[in-house]
Amino acid sequence: MKKEDLIEKYFTSTLSPEERILFDKLLQNDQEFKDEFVFQKELKQSIAHQQRETIKKTLKGFEDKLSKKKVFTLKNWLAAASVLLVFSLGYFAFNKYNSSKPEKLFTSNFVPYENVVHPTVRSNDESIESRAFSAYDSGMYYKAINLFNSVENKDADYIRFYKAMSFLALKKNHEAIDLLLPLATTPDASPSKFKWYAKANWYLGLAYLNNQEIDRAISQFNVVVNHPDCDYKKEAAKDLISRIKSD
Amino acid sequence: MTEANKNIRLEALRKGDSSVLETIYKSNRSTFLNFAHGFGINHEDALDIYQDTIIAFRENVISGKLTELKCAPSTYLCAIGKYKIFQLLRRQKPNSLDGKVIVEETNEVLDVNLFEEEYTNKVEMIGEQLKKLSNRCREILTLFYYEGYTLDEIAAILDYSNKLVLKSQKSRCLKQLKDSIL
Repeated sequence: MKKEDLIEKYFTSTLSPEERILFDKLLQNDQEFKDEFVFQKELKQSIAHQQRETIKKTLKGFEDKLSKKKVFTLKNWLAAASVLLVFSLGYFAFNKYNSSKPEKLFTSNFVPYENVVHPTVRSNDESIESRAFSAYDSGMYYKAINLFNSVENKDADYIRFYKAMSFLALKKNHEAIDLLLPLATTPDASPSKFKWYAKANWYLGLAYLNNQEIDRAISQFNVVVNHPDCDYKKEAAKDLISRIKSD
Repeated sequence: MTEANKNIRLEALRKGDSSVLETIYKSNRSTFLNFAHGFGINHEDALDIYQDTIIAFRENVISGKLTELKCAPSTYLCAIGKYKIFQLLRRQKPNSLDGKVIVEETNEVLDVNLFEEEYTNKVEMIGEQLKKLSNRCREILTLFYYEGYTLDEIAAILDYSNKLVLKSQKSRCLKQLKDSIL
């Protein structure tokens, strides 16, 4: 029996006892088999997660139908009125930052930082790191993140930086912010940190901007503007600050 | 209700018949909500747990853990729901229940599937890429990995001339997905 068929039978719960023994053996001794199995298991989880969300929406639909039938009591009216009030207050408070504006500014300013570490030229370099950068170069950010997670020196500053770029390109602001924060704090004597300092601040600002954290974004852009010995993105940051404030 | 009738409904539930789902939802709702309120769960959380419970119940039917009902559906729903209620209480008030109670209370009636596998970054990534696959691929993979159909059954449902054609289509879908991730 082919290995592929064993896995198929596992998922339809049709393994015979003998096949089950073979299956367990392969799982222990055959890395390729194990990888394939783990992948399909994760796929199953992923599909289940999405299906549950879909079914839950259907169930919520049933619930809505049930509650609509109920008489609209005074209590409900009051609740509705207070929701309306909160909404309108919120609208006035946040109108200043038109909800889509920070996102627009982000999109018009964000360009993933150029790969200066591993230019994809040599095709014979098959290390994980070079595959990661090559995925990065071709815009396959999920793949890049996966590979960055598997490199040996995954905590190195430059790996963190490019992983953050990948997350940011996927608009996963929180992950990007977590990775960029240590690179964007005051550089100590270590020159390797220094190298990423201005860039990390610029991109951290963009991440905050996209995350609607306007004040934090502005303060990061100010760091870029006031950097004493680096002209990186100074003008762009100045321009961005004035555009955020103008409205 | 006769035994046969009950099982016909389970089969329809397994097939994802929306009217059966709605009937089950409506007819057990008040029993379940009262049950949950008895644990001091508020209405909104109780509804949320009830909906998750219905989903878990259906998954037990799909996986074959539940092939016939030995007692009323609400008994099964409460057994699954109880576990979920304890989980919520443990999160909200960690000291209000001691672990012993939970273990004792949950091992009855059913070997329930509570879908608590860890939702990792990798699983999320696969999910993102899944959305980019063709409808056909998603259909095949969902029927196989979630709805629990065998390839023979899927070939019949989706009108494939034979299982082998479907099988190679499924492999192509898997490969496409894998290539987009690693």
